[in-house]
Amino acid sequence: MMYTIETALKQELRDAEASALVKKAGTYFCIPVESARSVHLVTIEADLTNDDLVRLQKEIFTNPVTQISSLAPLDIAFDWCIWIGFRPGVKDNPGDTALEAAADLLGRPFRPDEGIYTSRRYCLKGADLSRQDVEKIAQELLSNPIIQRYKIFSRDQWDPGKGADVKPARVILDHTPCFDFIDIDSDQTLSQISDQRNLALNARDIPIIRNYFLDPDILAQRRKMGLSKPTDVELEYISQARSDHCNHNTFNGIFRYTDVLSGEKTIENSLFKTYIQQPTLALKEKKDWVVSVLWDNAGVGEFDEQNNYVVTGETHNSPSNMEAYGGAITGIVGVYRDPMGTGLGSRLFMGSFGFCVGDITYDGPLKPPLHPRRLLDGVVEGVKDGGNKSGVPTTFGQTLFDPGYMGKSLVFVTALGIMPKQVAGRPSHEKKTSPGDLIIMSGGRVGKDGIHGVTASSESYSENTPAGHVQIGDPYTQKKMHDFLLVCRDEGLIQFITDNGGGGLSSSIGESAMISNGCLVHLDRVPLKYEGLDMWEIWVSESQERMTIAVRPSDLDRFMALSDEHGVESTVIGEYTDSGKLHITYKEKTCAYVDMDLLDKGFPAWEFDAVWLPPETRGLFEPVIRAPKDFNALMTAMLARPNICSKEWIIRQYDHEVQGGSVIKPLVGVNRNIPSDASVTRPVLTSEKGLAFSQTLLPWYAKIDAYHMMTCTIDEAVRRLIAVGGSFSHIGGVDNFCWPNIAYDARTNPDGTFKAAQLVRACRALKDACVAYEIPLLSGKDSMYVDGHLEGAFGERVKVSALETVQFSATSVIGDVVRCQTLDPKAAGDYIYVAGITGNELGASEYYDMFGKTGRNVPQVNFAAGKILYKAVEKAIHLEIPASCHGVARGGMGVHLALMAMAGGLGMEIDLSQVPSDGQDLPDEVLLFSESAGRFILTLAPEQAPVFEKLCRGLAVRRVGTVTTENDSLKIKGIQGDTIVDLCGQTLADAFNKPFGDML
Amino acid sequence: MRQAKALILTGFGLNCDNETALAFELAGAQSHRVHINAVIAGKVRLTDFHILAFGGGFSWGDDHGAGVIQAVKLKNHIGEDLLSFVAEGKLIIGICNGFQALVNLGLLPGLDKDYTRRSVAITYNDCGSFRDQWVHLTADPKSPCVFTSGMQKADFPIRHGEGKFIADPDVLSALQAGRQVVFQYADENAHPAEGVFPLNPNGSVQDIAGICDPTGKVFGLMPHPEAYNHVTNHPDWTRHKVMQKRLGKPFDTRDTPGLQLFCNGVDYIRERFL
Repeated sequence: MMYTIETALKQELRDAEASALVKKAGTYFCIPVESARSVHLVTIEADLTNDDLVRLQKEIFTNPVTQISSLAPLDIAFDWCIWIGFRPGVKDNPGDTALEAAADLLGRPFRPDEGIYTSRRYCLKGADLSRQDVEKIAQELLSNPIIQRYKIFSRDQWDPGKGADVKPARVILDHTPCFDFIDIDSDQTLSQISDQRNLALNARDIPIIRNYFLDPDILAQRRKMGLSKPTDVELEYISQARSDHCNHNTFNGIFRYTDVLSGEKTIENSLFKTYIQQPTLALKEKKDWVVSVLWDNAGVGEFDEQNNYVVTGETHNSPSNMEAYGGAITGIVGVYRDPMGTGLGSRLFMGSFGFCVGDITYDGPLKPPLHPRRLLDGVVEGVKDGGNKSGVPTTFGQTLFDPGYMGKSLVFVTALGIMPKQVAGRPSHEKKTSPGDLIIMSGGRVGKDGIHGVTASSESYSENTPAGHVQIGDPYTQKKMHDFLLVCRDEGLIQFITDNGGGGLSSSIGESAMISNGCLVHLDRVPLKYEGLDMWEIWVSESQERMTIAVRPSDLDRFMALSDEHGVESTVIGEYTDSGKLHITYKEKTCAYVDMDLLDKGFPAWEFDAVWLPPETRGLFEPVIRAPKDFNALMTAMLARPNICSKEWIIRQYDHEVQGGSVIKPLVGVNRNIPSDASVTRPVLTSEKGLAFSQTLLPWYAKIDAYHMMTCTIDEAVRRLIAVGGSFSHIGGVDNFCWPNIAYDARTNPDGTFKAAQLVRACRALKDACVAYEIPLLSGKDSMYVDGHLEGAFGERVKVSALETVQFSATSVIGDVVRCQTLDPKAAGDYIYVAGITGNELGASEYYDMFGKTGRNVPQVNFAAGKILYKAVEKAIHLEIPASCHGVARGGMGVHLALMAMAGGLGMEIDLSQVPSDGQDLPDEVLLFSESAGRFILTLAPEQAPVFEKLCRGLAVRRVGTVTTENDSLKIKGIQGDTIVDLCGQTLADAFNKPFGDML
Repeated sequence: MRQAKALILTGFGLNCDNETALAFELAGAQSHRVHINAVIAGKVRLTDFHILAFGGGFSWGDDHGAGVIQAVKLKNHIGEDLLSFVAEGKLIIGICNGFQALVNLGLLPGLDKDYTRRSVAITYNDCGSFRDQWVHLTADPKSPCVFTSGMQKADFPIRHGEGKFIADPDVLSALQAGRQVVFQYADENAHPAEGVFPLNPNGSVQDIAGICDPTGKVFGLMPHPEAYNHVTNHPDWTRHKVMQKRLGKPFDTRDTPGLQLFCNGVDYIRERFL
């Protein structure tokens, strides 16, 4: 039987969800919705008695104080009603929890053919609403066709008896699972099949694959198993293992680099080995705090005598471009599995985000899959639910805007965990699979999720075909698994653990079986969301919230008992062996049987031509802009720019202090609305130690030279750590590359060789910076195809590529958190110092960008000077000399003086003629807006001045002014001695807070 | 001396159990983090404890109303045990998601000694979304609440999307009469916020941030006292520290109103039960 329970808030209560809809319809589309009410529908397909049904309605689905509900459609007046429901197979988290609660309350399990599904309808009132208006609201605010369906009812179309007439979104696959043999009689045949089946096999891999399967010895072995030609399961396994995602073919590729100006010609044999692995391993020898790098799901560093911390960063770009909420929540929940699968498993203690999107006010002809404004709303919401419901604080984050990101927006997510150095008498950062260990899959079930990524999104839909290729993360299921696995870890039940992400079981088992040198997997034992998946689909499905764990047979009963107590599903699906074979069966029939070392059989490296055109050869020059006259208006205009102004509306939605260890929050200052340099967290609540974390994105500098983009990005990340009290002797790094396509093609990618050269230069800079500042790279990832082909006004498709972007994350351990400092000046009368040299470096600055210019003088990092200065500032903060400290970043000193004044709620008097500069007499606008690296602004009590100046003797540190009272303004004297800026706190605050003010 | 024993519920998406356990430990109690299923299965018995803590988090993802499914499950399996725990005069504290669970269980407000009726609700913030923000609270010095005895005011963070307290006028006046409104959102001078956002961050009627039952032994609040377990948790701590230093005063890291609240509960148990 089928029933639908409708629930709504009582009329007199504020319906926040509906109010938000009314507001957005008005502000986004000027659609005049007068009022709205939302109705939540729970559709139950099960054999229930009426008593059972009423019990569910009253006890679970109706709050007697706030809600009304009915088993028939609620009689709520409307001019138009929009119903929104998920497509079959899309993760319906409330539906799943409803099922769990109902089964518990009624004390009866639900059969596979029974289910509970949720949907919503919105009752809109508005005399002037047209059907087109309502269609627009349904399509561009409420639903996304790739995961949802909608129906629209006018008042007279509405049947009060039938209501929205909801059908259960149950997946029905009328299909008997099977596997195919693939023809390999010629390279052409295989490459055609590869295209047909979305195998994405690299043309140069195909002969190697054929040679293997045509080898007489191999054939003989396979015949014993009833196999001859390769199966689709086997080719999917190879395809996954050889994909750029799993194999990093770009960073392990061969680059032929040419500099057209100097004529330099170099062959780069592996950017990864040369610029990431080699320096990091060398630093590991020097720094005994570096515990484990470059092999596991995340890097491991020492936190204190008893504990290690774990860090990694990911991106989830393509899915977020198709379905922003689903992509982002899947991204953050997904990256949270990496620390859970690092070593024997760590406890998550913080996360962070980085959003790069197009202009959210864009109203041009190009049609991205989602408008940047809607995309940002979606990713903000996705990270909110994913992070908050995981019980992990989101302590840091940045949001960037640039037209290039309309082609493909970027969603960076970072995760940190903590684990005892020893668990059950073993080092927690080591793990291995051994013959005889059982292969267990824990967490979610397997469906057609994420198979072949978003390529599936072009498939057409029927009523019951799953739309699972776009996923929606389930933090609730994962949080249960997280708690469960930590108990297993501490009891010593885990021999090996890794997560199921890209490639699903194919990569998690494929890679972990390399250690024991073999495995036997029974795919028919893998628990499914619905019947009818083919073997290869079970093998490569990317269904979320799953971990693969190796458990000794003797520990199985205890493991399963704990799994049961925590309400987590765990299943033995095979065992690790030392047979040398990846052996997969389905109902005792072999469907894959290949050698574990197949992937070492001489697959060729990818090759790229990289041609570097230095800025002077690309017609880049400094723009000619005469000195501004109205610096007050200029300052407020800078503060109001999207990439500078307050993003408090985003940060506030993220729980940044759950777990009780918050020391330095993402927003600081008297009004708690100024972004801090870095966050500091106490992951071990009984300890006074803290972990400082910062993140930097400066993609604009890549318009001039990706080398300096990378060095400036790393320098700023380090500066941010030092500013809050971080230690220069312990800095860990995480590099996340997001690059447009670098494979040259005369027609589709004519500037591919230049972008390839930019990548080579960025990698060289990565090594130079990490060696200079002694930063081991604890983790890193790359996402290589950040381009989009957007339809324009005339049906043409324009390729829009993102800027070459690197997000660099940095960690440091703080011995005593009480010595940390924030950027807000604390007292009137304190002296203001600037540390570090300002040069004429406005290239690709926020200032030039305001005038639509790029210029050529990109900021360049002086590592030698930086190193000495950073150590001096670290010492000063350790001695508790400064009352505030702030690293100068995007927008330059003018912007960051204003941020400090606002944060302190105090005035400042500054004399630009005192600012340490590189000799040439720089004009006021350069001193105020140059983005030279390596600079701080500090304030301290006058009586501290002598000891501070002694500490900084010989360094580019000079007193530039004084902190004044809350009634005073920010006064800046220019080099001619005249006051060029005089702005009161309120004016600064208005400029800074206004742009997104109404979103709080 | 025997120690007060506190049971902190875990599992099913709850997530503040570690810091809540630590707060009770620092307050001198013996903390036990116990999975809801272990209590339901009888592996751990409520009768062995003096304090029961319903902590923060997203139980069952907060789908179908924050704390609702948690309340239904507990009522369904250990409803009687909870009622006798209250009858014995032991202490129950519900924080954020735990407060939401307590009102859905009917353990709060417990008017007319009825600990099963749902007569108040905590619903969606007026601002329409989740908010993490530190708030000023003013405490009713005449409230029977055991946990806040001697407290006039406190700063704690709120972190919720559903924190708006609502109830019918007659229920509200009953709460006032019984001095059951323990905490109200306030300004920095401890005057009630009078609904002004963001001082009152969610639109709660009468700025209500926390209530207790008529006996003062069952207490629920939306703000997170356990998140103020160290002086560096406070958003203004670096400014406080600079000022203290300049006045030549010490800067004690564990002297916080958050821990004070837990100490009050533990001290009460020590006096009455140990």
